[in-house]
Amino acid sequence: MIWLWGALAFWVAAVALNAALARRAARYPVLRLVVPAVFGVTLLVVWEGVVRGLGVSPVILPPPSAVGARLVGSLPVLWGDFVQTFLKGALSGYVIGCGAAVAVAIAIDRSVFLQRGLLPVGNFVAALPIVGIAPIMVMWFGFDWHSKAAVVVVMVFFPVLVNTVAGLKATEAMQRDLMATYSASYGQTLRKLRLPAAMPFIFNGLKIAATLALIGAIVAEFFGSPTRGMGFRITAEIGKLGLDMIWATIAVAALAGSAFYGAIALIERAVTFWHPSQRN
Amino acid sequence: MKKLVTGALMTAFAATGAQAADDVTLQLKWVTQAQFAGYYVAAAKGFYEAEGLNVTILPGGPDVAPTQVIAGGGADVVVDWMPSALAAREKGLALVNIAQPFKSSGMMLTCLKESGITTPADFAGKTLGVWFGGNEYPFLNWMSSLGLKTDGSEGGVTVLKQGFNVDPLLQKQAACVSTMTYNEYWQVIDAGLTPDDLVTFKYEDQGVATLEDGLYVMEDKLSDPAFADKMVRFVRASMKGWKEAEANPDEAAMIVLDNDETGAQTEAHQKRMMGEIAKLTAGSNGALDEADYQRTVEKLLAGGSDPVISKAPEGAWSHAITDLALK
Repeated sequence: MIWLWGALAFWVAAVALNAALARRAARYPVLRLVVPAVFGVTLLVVWEGVVRGLGVSPVILPPPSAVGARLVGSLPVLWGDFVQTFLKGALSGYVIGCGAAVAVAIAIDRSVFLQRGLLPVGNFVAALPIVGIAPIMVMWFGFDWHSKAAVVVVMVFFPVLVNTVAGLKATEAMQRDLMATYSASYGQTLRKLRLPAAMPFIFNGLKIAATLALIGAIVAEFFGSPTRGMGFRITAEIGKLGLDMIWATIAVAALAGSAFYGAIALIERAVTFWHPSQRN
Repeated sequence: MKKLVTGALMTAFAATGAQAADDVTLQLKWVTQAQFAGYYVAAAKGFYEAEGLNVTILPGGPDVAPTQVIAGGGADVVVDWMPSALAAREKGLALVNIAQPFKSSGMMLTCLKESGITTPADFAGKTLGVWFGGNEYPFLNWMSSLGLKTDGSEGGVTVLKQGFNVDPLLQKQAACVSTMTYNEYWQVIDAGLTPDDLVTFKYEDQGVATLEDGLYVMEDKLSDPAFADKMVRFVRASMKGWKEAEANPDEAAMIVLDNDETGAQTEAHQKRMMGEIAKLTAGSNGALDEADYQRTVEKLLAGGSDPVISKAPEGAWSHAITDLALK
């Protein structure tokens, strides 16, 4: 019972503290980072207190302390999974998929024929369920990370394609006319005017794809994989009721996903510094 | 004492006459198929009803871990394999085997003859398909008893986490895949390979078989006389269903088909499966054979660097239910 009351007391105190900090955030910018940190810590403490206080079985929900201990104790395993799933599967799929999508978007932009023919096909591919594609990709590309990368390519292709196509249409007729008066070629107009103008759109697609890539790589591992990888770990540990390990894997995936998204957002800020949404 | 309590309860039921049926929820280990025919037959033939039970049968699937379902209170009794049940017990989920309708293991490794494998000694350097999620223990055990490493190092075997199909074998991505005598083996045959193309190693023949498809309940609930009495009646009716299914496999297969809500199963497949299942349930009256249990525990303890369980479990099985149910 002491755990439950303790958690409750901590929660009340932390909310009061956060409210006070938030009021002062305007004066001390550093507090803008402290407030979410306090919130996160509160969440963990309340989780720990409730799980211990109510005696929840660790096979239903392990306390964060157990997850943390497992995380620290299994670093080599988790690192191996991270390399397999994130660096090999998700990242290579992401680069190939996004690269292809941008290239195809430019091709579509040049040709009315492709516009009519390829966009609907892209739409169709995007609607394919991952549970349907994954086993087929395992058949085609083997059970190692290559098939996971292929699933990721299929998943990230469409959002990036649609956003890039929309972005390439973002310039105004007046701007294009100006380029024409300079007698700029298609390639020059593309490089100097239209691609830069399309960047906010392309980055939108890239950010959506960033989260999709990790999900795709993990889920694809459910359908055949070598004995490493985040998706493998989750399916293997569920049979042993190693819930602490599953949560540790989830924590790694969440951290990796957030960091990936953050990195793309940072690049976006550097590339589209001129865009109104990036100005403070 | 237990007999007295049960006896008193029985009298109480008889005295009150038309009592509302007791609810029992059974979680299966896999999707609706002839592997669980006994339970469906018992339900269809009214054996449960006759025992005053209202049984709900929940089908499982690749994303359902029976241990997790019972831990969350979603079922009273689950069908599971002993390795996963004992591993869960060591993790603090006190599961108890109350009955063991399956005497033999249906698990085997099916290999392509062209891969050059004729004996288990030829596994070294090959890729083998294994199911995970609790089904990998007998395999890991077997490999450690053969002295083969499974971590991908030199001289060992490469393990492929296989989906619940036989594609890796058909595409020659693996030299061998895991199959059940009653299910995936026939998928290989249906895919166009003949038994002559294949070499099979039954876990049973290799001496590494572990107990499959037992009935497990939570230990703390078992000490409740009312619950124990429900389980006695449940096991009695279920075993009646199993023996009925064994005797009339075709009829049992049709009952299973009637209960398959997904409509994914076919008549030919289920009849064949029921024929194979009958071989596995033959020789079991439902009571757990202690020698089989001991063998399973020894196998699980001897897991090399990564044993499934680290110490011999205490109280992981009980004859209390079957003693009453089968008298």
